[in-house]
Amino acid sequence: MTVLPTLKSATLAAVLLASTAVFASAKDVTISVWSGGSGPNDNYRTDAFDIAADILEREAAIRGQQLNIIVQKTPYSGWEDFKQALTLAAEAKKAPNIVATGHEDIGPWAQAGLIVPVEKFIDLDSWPISDIYPNLMEITSFNGSVYGIPQDAESRPFFFWKPYMKAIGYSEADIEALPAKVEKGEYTLKNVLEDAKKMQDKGLVQAGYGFYPRTNNGPDYWQFYTSFGGVMEEEGKLVFDKAAMKRTYQYFADLVKAGVTKKNHIGMPGDQWWKEVATGKAGIWHGGTWHYARLVNQEGLKDFFTNVQFTLVPAGEGGKANTLTHPLAYLLMAGHTEEETQIAADLIKIASEPRINALHAIKSAHLGISPSETKVDLYAADRWASEATERLLPHANAMPNNADFGKYWTIMWKNFEASWTGAKTADAAVNDAEAELKSTLGAAIIIR
Amino acid sequence: MRTSRTLGLVMIAPAAVMIVLFFLVPVVLTAIFAMTNMSTATGISGGAWQVTQGAINRLKADMPDLAGGIAEPRFVIDEEGLAALEALKLKAGFSTELRTSHMGEVFPSRREAERMIKALKDRPSTREVKQLSDLFNRSVLNTRFETRDGLMASLKKLGFKLTPAEQETVATATYTGWVWTTENFRIIGNSPDMAQIFLNTAFYVSVTLLVFNVSYALFLAITTHYMPASTASVFRAIWLLPRITPVVIYVLMWKWLTWDSGFISMFMGQFGYPAKNYLLDSAYNAWFFVILINGFIGASMGMLVFSSAIKAIPQTQFHASEVDGASRWQQVRHVILPQLRWPILFVTCYQTLSLLASFNEILLSTRGGPGRATEVWSLAAYHTALNNYTGNLEYGLGAAMALVLVVVGIVLSLIYLRIFRYDTLISKPLIED
Repeated sequence: MTVLPTLKSATLAAVLLASTAVFASAKDVTISVWSGGSGPNDNYRTDAFDIAADILEREAAIRGQQLNIIVQKTPYSGWEDFKQALTLAAEAKKAPNIVATGHEDIGPWAQAGLIVPVEKFIDLDSWPISDIYPNLMEITSFNGSVYGIPQDAESRPFFFWKPYMKAIGYSEADIEALPAKVEKGEYTLKNVLEDAKKMQDKGLVQAGYGFYPRTNNGPDYWQFYTSFGGVMEEEGKLVFDKAAMKRTYQYFADLVKAGVTKKNHIGMPGDQWWKEVATGKAGIWHGGTWHYARLVNQEGLKDFFTNVQFTLVPAGEGGKANTLTHPLAYLLMAGHTEEETQIAADLIKIASEPRINALHAIKSAHLGISPSETKVDLYAADRWASEATERLLPHANAMPNNADFGKYWTIMWKNFEASWTGAKTADAAVNDAEAELKSTLGAAIIIR
Repeated sequence: MRTSRTLGLVMIAPAAVMIVLFFLVPVVLTAIFAMTNMSTATGISGGAWQVTQGAINRLKADMPDLAGGIAEPRFVIDEEGLAALEALKLKAGFSTELRTSHMGEVFPSRREAERMIKALKDRPSTREVKQLSDLFNRSVLNTRFETRDGLMASLKKLGFKLTPAEQETVATATYTGWVWTTENFRIIGNSPDMAQIFLNTAFYVSVTLLVFNVSYALFLAITTHYMPASTASVFRAIWLLPRITPVVIYVLMWKWLTWDSGFISMFMGQFGYPAKNYLLDSAYNAWFFVILINGFIGASMGMLVFSSAIKAIPQTQFHASEVDGASRWQQVRHVILPQLRWPILFVTCYQTLSLLASFNEILLSTRGGPGRATEVWSLAAYHTALNNYTGNLEYGLGAAMALVLVVVGIVLSLIYLRIFRYDTLISKPLIED
């Protein structure tokens, strides 16, 4: 009879001891995640970490540790403010633990020591990282180290408003065959200009709406340079191909001259552009795979496949049809303890698992990062994701991870805009760009 | 006398501290930054030394042997590495297995060396794999050295004996941080775009200043002066609205007016004109609206200053001139304008400096477009140093541009003081001599 109370007290003592032991090893860790260019459909760029944190906490519990991860999420809808805030915060030693940003930031940020190589904390041969497409892993590498884990992939297609294509003489079969024709180089940027003009001449679209490009600076415009035969980088050195760039500049000047694109197109309100392409005000335009999500979710274009055909960016003179993938990558920022960074890296790894990543891919209409993600039901059952992956991704290039690429881009863009608006001729714009590239980058760029 | 002087110094001390902190220090820092090539890629706080492919390309011309010798990564399982591993006191199994099974093996890449390490029987964690592979790294390629000496010691270990001059060449080619340079001023001097931005600025400042900030403000001040007091107050209050409205809302209202779907488009649509973005339609349109937006803000300030200055003119002078039969125009020319020299100097000088430095209205309305047509110097400096799509912020070049602006501002102020003969304006009245 006396054994029971003793046993009871002993058990209670043991439980108390055990609970204090657990309590002693309990740990609160705050992991901050920032993401750039994240609209309402891109919430899983940061929300994926809520799921990842839950899994990591459970894994820790099984190992006998109590880990409390508090995820602080800061999504930015634009890019310019995000990059300014992030670089300045990092310089002030207030960087977040994880950031989702364009892969082109890896070069300058790695050189400046703002980020640490992710391969220092993650075994690249382990799942799910080992399953990610190798070319995406290549895009997130710099100076022989893997700095980031691809967060998504995408590509930037051309879109055609089917009813207008029919109205200018294309049959349903012609429209179906268009992606293949573009791929073979049988339908070129010259045809785009002609068809856009036909749409306007027939009164299907207003003047300036035949070809309706992106309204601000972005990686898309490098696709035209590639279409006209330009190369961005060769063996680690940036390349400025004068002839290809001139053809690129000239093409947009020609579009304006033909009246199919507005001279003042750049800088127009983005919301207006979205509404117009979703309601068939524009004939041909270009954008990203994620546009599908916005057109369908926010802009009310429910019958997308009835109204819109999409293809690679057609070839121009001297080049080939192409598209560009601009993966965002999860990067680990410097300036935190090894332990925190390790937890952040573990979270990135979990967030990259196919099922979690598919939530982002399908909600935001981006493309998957690994073959197994394409087999997840949610992904495989999505018509857009499957068709876009198959039609576009095999032809996708990427911008170089070069610490000087940003300077090149800035100079390329401002002269592009100047020739587009007629402030400079294409010749003058190319010559000015060449002069400035020589003076700014010197031997770091090959000019030919 | 001495006490009052000391007291004066004490009283002015807080203001002096403020001036030093908020005016002098930023200018001095801008001048310091302007003499560097600081950018996002170089970082602000200093760099490291890293033998990248780019650095090897730079070294090829001067030191081809060294460039060739360090171009390949090499990981070697050797006694030296094993000794270092044992000193780390990780699991003993690591060194035992490496010694017995892998001694002398050479791996051409970190990835391959790490795959072997990961396959050890006592499977190391990812952190341990990294620690281990570092110990057997027998090259400097892509290794980040926090100090110059660290890089030189590693090169020495690899068998490269470098003279101090050669060390300097290697250090320069591999340094990732910022360096002192006057290059920014050369870029500013030689760039055709900078020349265009300079002309844009001169155009924007002079037209806004002359047409609105001074002439239109004078017009408003004089016309309201001749109005009944209550009517004048209403007009002045209306003209003050652009000044007191928050700038974001004020510019947004202009955008509503000028957008494709805005008021002007809707109005012109009634007459069959297709909708267009009047603000960004052409460089002329953009300038027209940029100057109006800024002009209406600036005019209100001039109006206030000039109105109060006109009020300060003794009424007797107006009465006397009227008795003499002077017309309104003659009153303006011979009574008002001569006595407004000082306020006009003040408004001109103040508004020139303010227009040179302010860019928020342009940023919010046209962002410098279309095609950088309305990009003014201060906006370009902001875009260069703090805000662009590629995230490649060029702090050094932006600071150099800001410094040019400071110098231009000072020079213009001195010129104004000279033209308006500041010394005679502040000299003591002769009657007190």
